[in-house]
Amino acid sequence: MKQSVFAMAGVAAAAMMMSGCASMPEVREVALDRAPITSKLEPQDVRRTVEKMTESLLSAPGVREAVGGTRPVLDVEPLKNRTSQHVDMVSVTDSLRSQLLRSGMFRFVDKSTSGTDIEFMDAQAQLGLTDPKKAIKGGQQSAAQMYLTGALSEIKNQVGRTVDQYYKFSMVLKDLRSGEIVWSDEKEIRKESVAPRMGW
Amino acid sequence: MKRTNKLLAAVALTAGLSALVGCVDTAGTVVTTDHATGSTLVLEDNTRLKGQIQVLRVNYDEVNGLKRVHITLASTKHKRLIVDYRIAWFDANGMELDADAKTYRNQIVEGRESVTVTGVATSAAAVSSKLRVRSTSASD
Repeated sequence: MKQSVFAMAGVAAAAMMMSGCASMPEVREVALDRAPITSKLEPQDVRRTVEKMTESLLSAPGVREAVGGTRPVLDVEPLKNRTSQHVDMVSVTDSLRSQLLRSGMFRFVDKSTSGTDIEFMDAQAQLGLTDPKKAIKGGQQSAAQMYLTGALSEIKNQVGRTVDQYYKFSMVLKDLRSGEIVWSDEKEIRKESVAPRMGW
Repeated sequence: MKRTNKLLAAVALTAGLSALVGCVDTAGTVVTTDHATGSTLVLEDNTRLKGQIQVLRVNYDEVNGLKRVHITLASTKHKRLIVDYRIAWFDANGMELDADAKTYRNQIVEGRESVTVTGVATSAAAVSSKLRVRSTSASD
């Protein structure tokens, strides 16, 4: 009796161990704002930064004063990456622009797609497919009155198994005509990771 | 026979504990504020969190034509607490605005300290806000 119980327990334990030997990785969807898994910059850090910057910009008194009752034309320059890791700064800029655009406080132009604009206009003018009266001619686009720019910097310290990582997003909104900085803000992120005693 | 029963009980207990791993309570404290009437409703759904964090004060105002809410949270514990919070905004029809853009932010609250969290609606159509506080362990 005793032996059969031990045998059953052994079989059960072996079955449990074997169940982890699948060749396919386990994939599941997780929340966008999940807990950090590395000390590197993660999607939730970028999302929080974009949200914070958008709220800060929209509620700044100086911005209201500069904007007045108008909806100024804004361009967003990709943020400069001064860190040692690869971060898609264009994607960060795109998220920021989308959120600001939805607020309705600004109008936007995109300098980075000007080449495509020229290709379309050239095609409309030269290929003979477009009605010449309806073809869009150059020299009519809005001019950016303000632009948003910024940078991401980092400070990394390592003591033994502990890595202390500090990131700082800093952004400024500049009025092109006056050259004045209308708004500026920072978002700081600090993370710590401790490597396991054993492992590689 | 007695020994077998003990062994079976131990196996059942182990299985039960294994099944419970991952069952994190993601419910939290919800503070709903109607910016038109000024009414505020606090709903504490998580007993553990309720014993750690209290909602002290809710203030609201308007800046640059956008609604803004300030909620003061106080720790009732002597140890440092880390919580996540998210402030969502709703229009007059109760539809959530920019749901994907509103994230859970991390907040460290020192022992017996209070912190004020602030949210700004990014759309002029917002009329009510909802703060949701959850334990950081619920963030997966």
